Amino acid sequence: MSANRIEFRGLSRRFGRLAVLARVDGCVASGEVLPVRGRNGSGKSTLLRCLAGLLAPDAGEIVAAEEGRALEGEERRRRIGYVAPDLAFYEELTVGENLGFFSHLRGIPPAVATELLARVDLPAERRAGALSSGMRQRLRWAFALLHRPRLLLLDEPFQNLDGPGEQTARALLAEHLAGGGLAVVASPVLLSLPATLDAIDLDR
Amino acid sequence: MKRHAPWLLWAWLAAVIVAAFYYAPTAQGFSGYDQPPGGDAGHASRILFFHVPMAWVSFLAFVAAGVWSLRYLAGRRDPRQDRAALAAVELGLVFGVLATVTGALWARFMWGAYWNWDPRQTSVLIALLFYAAYLALRAAVEDRATGARLAAAYAVLGLVVAPFLFFVLPRLGFTLHPDAVINTRGKVEVESRMLQVLVASAAGFTALFFWMHSLRRRLLDLAARREEESI
Amino acid sequence: MRSTWIAEAAAVFAKDWRCELRAKHAIATLGLFAVTSLIVASLALGPVGIDTAERVAFAPVLIWLILLFATAAGLPRAFVHEEETHTATALRLSASPSALFAGKAAYSFSVLAAVEAVVAPLAAALLQIDVARPGLLAGALALGGFGLAVASTLLAAIVAQGRGRTTLFAALAFPVLVPLLALAVALTRAALGAEVAAGILAQLVLYDATVTVAGLMLFPAVWNP
Repeated sequence: MSANRIEFRGLSRRFGRLAVLARVDGCVASGEVLPVRGRNGSGKSTLLRCLAGLLAPDAGEIVAAEEGRALEGEERRRRIGYVAPDLAFYEELTVGENLGFFSHLRGIPPAVATELLARVDLPAERRAGALSSGMRQRLRWAFALLHRPRLLLLDEPFQNLDGPGEQTARALLAEHLAGGGLAVVASPVLLSLPATLDAIDLDR
Repeated sequence: MKRHAPWLLWAWLAAVIVAAFYYAPTAQGFSGYDQPPGGDAGHASRILFFHVPMAWVSFLAFVAAGVWSLRYLAGRRDPRQDRAALAAVELGLVFGVLATVTGALWARFMWGAYWNWDPRQTSVLIALLFYAAYLALRAAVEDRATGARLAAAYAVLGLVVAPFLFFVLPRLGFTLHPDAVINTRGKVEVESRMLQVLVASAAGFTALFFWMHSLRRRLLDLAARREEESI
Repeated sequence: MRSTWIAEAAAVFAKDWRCELRAKHAIATLGLFAVTSLIVASLALGPVGIDTAERVAFAPVLIWLILLFATAAGLPRAFVHEEETHTATALRLSASPSALFAGKAAYSFSVLAAVEAVVAPLAAALLQIDVARPGLLAGALALGGFGLAVASTLLAAIVAQGRGRTTLFAALAFPVLVPLLALAVALTRAALGAEVAAGILAQLVLYDATVTVAGLMLFPAVWNP
């Protein structure tokens, strides 16, 4: 039994008459990457939002564990790391203030945020509203890794990133996996990631 | 037995209607605003045999909606409990409007105006607005699960605030309007035949509510199932 | 290391004020709205020359109506803005719901207190009322404002997840806030020198306590998916 793990069975979610997810199963453990593939609108983001606890599935079961400890309900939401296009930050605040706020909520020393910002190469003094889309994506990565999560949910993790940006993100992911972390990665295109399991194909 | 229950209910309510007009006497001591005091309310008082039970059922429906909402939120978020709460709110609104209208007619007879800002009238009106807002909230949220969750929270909030509406507000009303006309109601000895009819009517209306509720609930369940199967 | 509940609530409170001071969404609009409507109402009444007793009866209604509309106009932003700009997602992932609720309610209360600090003295001056019991007036404003802030924070969280948010807020808030407003008006009237029933202060405290407990209990169900 792996220390870190996400397992889900029979996940279904509908929006009105539209069934976006219909009985989806999957399992991923320490050091592994579970890719989720499918066309636009096939439910990749919906699946990740369900796993993150940002959306309640209509049916199905999700079991998550971190370092051998089961994560239930609200704790799962606060412990996972989540990179996705629907993640936005306070435009009036600087990058540093944004991460400072979220560190404060989680009780994390400010040094961690500073270190992460240097790693993704973002200027702490820049207002979040004045970031380019690639810089926003770097900020999402920094936000997701702030509390050193062992379970990463990545929805189009490299979108808008330039060459060096994508290299940094890939390096961060590789370190995460090497340390025993796991990742569920949703993308419409093949990303060629390490330690990849068979993909969940939502088109079928 | 279950198949015959509606017929028993109809028979019971028919008997209540007949009794309200031919068995129960008219209210002594109630007199209209344009009549000398101490008179006889005449046939006008017979509206109370329907007004009071409808007000009671409306109250019962709203409490039931609050309880089902609480169970929905605290339990496993069973959509059937949410639909039960919704059906109760809908029926509570219908009976509440009927109680308000019959009450207004009685108020016209007793005090000369359909609306007196009597504290009881006011609190019932606000309760009706609350549950109309409940339905507006459901209509404003597209996602079913989200709508159910938000509406349930709102219904529970209503349950919590209701005592202020029904107990605090009337006291404030009396003190702000010390010469409130409603005081003429005073104490009235309820004649025993009147009481019998009133109790029988309340029982009949309570059963009517539960029967209508089960119908509405089944209809909502079927609509939900059709939606699920239509993919 | 885990953040304490109080520290989390304080972080939310500080964040909201910092954003507010940078963008000045609410304060400027609310202050202007409150002052303008107060002046318009006083101007319309002034030349008519109603007597003191009538002014004492009327002023509390005016004050609390302005505060109610200021609340409806400005405070739903507390959550509507988070949902509209999608910052709610990051917040859901990071904050504990009850601490978030406490921080947001405290922020709403402080905004409302700032508006009250302008509106109440201005109303007394414009309507030429000598405040009989200033301490009681401060108490009425504080207790009424607190209840208003807490209840509207919960309602804002509900409304933020629906469509037609501003009109919906008014529809949802009115029935819930009626007892509060009736009590706050009566207490304010007492502070201005009118005779009112006993026990209103206690009832207002009870209302505040009730919505606070209900808010803390219900907010997680509203906020969590």
